[in-house]
Amino acid sequence: MLEFNAPLSTDVLVVGGGIGGLCAAIASARTGARTMVAEKADTRRSGSGATGNDHFACYYPKAHGSDIRVILKELRQSLVGAYHDEKLSLRFLEESIHMVDRWQEWGINMKPFGDDYEFMGHAYPGRPRIWLKYDGHNQKQVLTRQAKKEGVEIVNHLPVIDLIEMDGEIAGALALDVSKDTPTFTVIRARKVVLSTGTANRLYPAAGSPGWPFNTAFCPACTGAAQAQAWRIGAKMVNMEMPNRHAGPKFFARAGKSTWIGVYRYPNGKLLGPFVDRATRYVGDITCDVWNSAYTDVLLNGSGPAYIDCTQTKPEDLAFMREGMISEGLTTLVDYMDRTGLDVSRHAVEFMQYEPHIIGRGLEIDIDGQTSVPGLYAAGDMVGNFRADIAGAAVYGWIAGGHAGASAASCELKNAETSPWVAERAQLYSSFVERESGAAWKEANLAVQQIMDSYAAAGPHRLRSATLLTAGLKYMADLRKNAINEISVPDAHSLMRAIETLDLMDNGEIVMHAALERKETRGMHQRSDYTFTNPLLSDKFLEVWQENGTVRTEWRQCWN
Amino acid sequence: MPPIIHADRCTHCGMCATICPMNIFKHEKGQTPKVAYPEECWHCNACVLDCPAHAVELRLPLNYMVLHVDADTLHA
Repeated sequence: MLEFNAPLSTDVLVVGGGIGGLCAAIASARTGARTMVAEKADTRRSGSGATGNDHFACYYPKAHGSDIRVILKELRQSLVGAYHDEKLSLRFLEESIHMVDRWQEWGINMKPFGDDYEFMGHAYPGRPRIWLKYDGHNQKQVLTRQAKKEGVEIVNHLPVIDLIEMDGEIAGALALDVSKDTPTFTVIRARKVVLSTGTANRLYPAAGSPGWPFNTAFCPACTGAAQAQAWRIGAKMVNMEMPNRHAGPKFFARAGKSTWIGVYRYPNGKLLGPFVDRATRYVGDITCDVWNSAYTDVLLNGSGPAYIDCTQTKPEDLAFMREGMISEGLTTLVDYMDRTGLDVSRHAVEFMQYEPHIIGRGLEIDIDGQTSVPGLYAAGDMVGNFRADIAGAAVYGWIAGGHAGASAASCELKNAETSPWVAERAQLYSSFVERESGAAWKEANLAVQQIMDSYAAAGPHRLRSATLLTAGLKYMADLRKNAINEISVPDAHSLMRAIETLDLMDNGEIVMHAALERKETRGMHQRSDYTFTNPLLSDKFLEVWQENGTVRTEWRQCWN
Repeated sequence: MPPIIHADRCTHCGMCATICPMNIFKHEKGQTPKVAYPEECWHCNACVLDCPAHAVELRLPLNYMVLHVDADTLHA
């Protein structure tokens, strides 16, 4: 068995120091609760917002007027708008501008163009624009500095690998110290836990580079840890069966398509969409937010490829776009373009649809960000019934952290390290280190991807069915057994990757269980055995969870 | 093999290893960090941005080529 360090104790433990986690931690600390962030890497540069972002969804009454429902409609019709419990969306919108004010005060430039907030991009012509354009290149450093200033304890290189539940409520977490080559365990006792581990990547083969799992648009260190860990202790998930696929340049997977200011064209010059024939910094071409599968469709029907053409964008807007790419954290792309002579004023860049990943699907939360496990909260990309990406993580992180902090004092701190679950999980993970030779974690990760791609594929043009999903579940269980019996790791880093791979297996199984139960075709969940969309399910969400080792599912009405 | 650390400029501070979101470096005090897990690089540029000595360069693998054409071909 690997060694255990002395247990740590805190009132509120935040799992993951991304945007949601750091905002949760600051809010928690402001209530007076002792607050700790356990982070896999280093909060100054971790997660999908590591090097920046530039669009923050927000309701600003001064610009948008007093009717919040007008902005709610825009949010729901945006690329992040599917699968919301609207009472959460409304709370998010109500609080969003206050979060923007805080970020501005802390040192993230939310007003890069003058004295007031400006809204640009991801917008329909003639409709209100809800995405505040900001310069987030330093967002992680600023949030880290602010968290420390507020008294938050940040422990880097300490990924949480399991949650500990005792007497029906959260009691803490088991973490893996990866700061040295030899891994050790640390139990963190906590009265409340806020999960904020981001998107789940590496679940399907990378669309651009199959067999190369790290060419992903979102941070590939994020592997659905929150969903997997919460699933293992019985938390409810929603919408896990609904695939999401992002899009961007081909073959270098990168998010931020609305930072590009251009129009999408077929090779014969025809526009893909009906929205604009010339893009500006205010209104770009929203076609692919609406027609999400465009790049795959045109490739598979032979009419592609599809390009983004910025050549008719005004020079001042092209300069603005370059600055936007730096704000968005796309400096690798900017450097590459400079080095290779790729010039968007002369060249059209092919775009593609990336592989399915999990964002805006996962943990079901209530209006305060609490999951179905008492004392366990979630905020950010791994929440299943609300999504607003960066802004969603920040605002709901703030809400969840504030609620957790304020209610922590009423809970008792338990000796989480005495839970038999800790010993069981530690023994499993230790066995990978103790085994002198065997399978590499990467073999298991590729196997997960192969199974998901074959048996739980996402549309367009790929189908699921009861027989395929049932086979996929059988094969994933076989893989898990083989992986547990055969994986061998040489060091702490590889053990972390192996545990991520086990988390991906849980995510895959949740997806397949839920996909089996959703007996209809909707979005990119396309069933060959249920080819229609069932209107009776339009205002319902599918909950899925484990109870004493048995998978349960239940349909519920959306919370409007 | 991304990223590339220029040993002649590296001051051995270990910043690249500390802040890498993917933990791909190994660093011993007083030495140039090693890129221990190059295939796990996300190509986020954090190491390039944060190196105080500007000693890190990021090379995109050949299979990450950004596909593009002369835009005139779309306007013909």
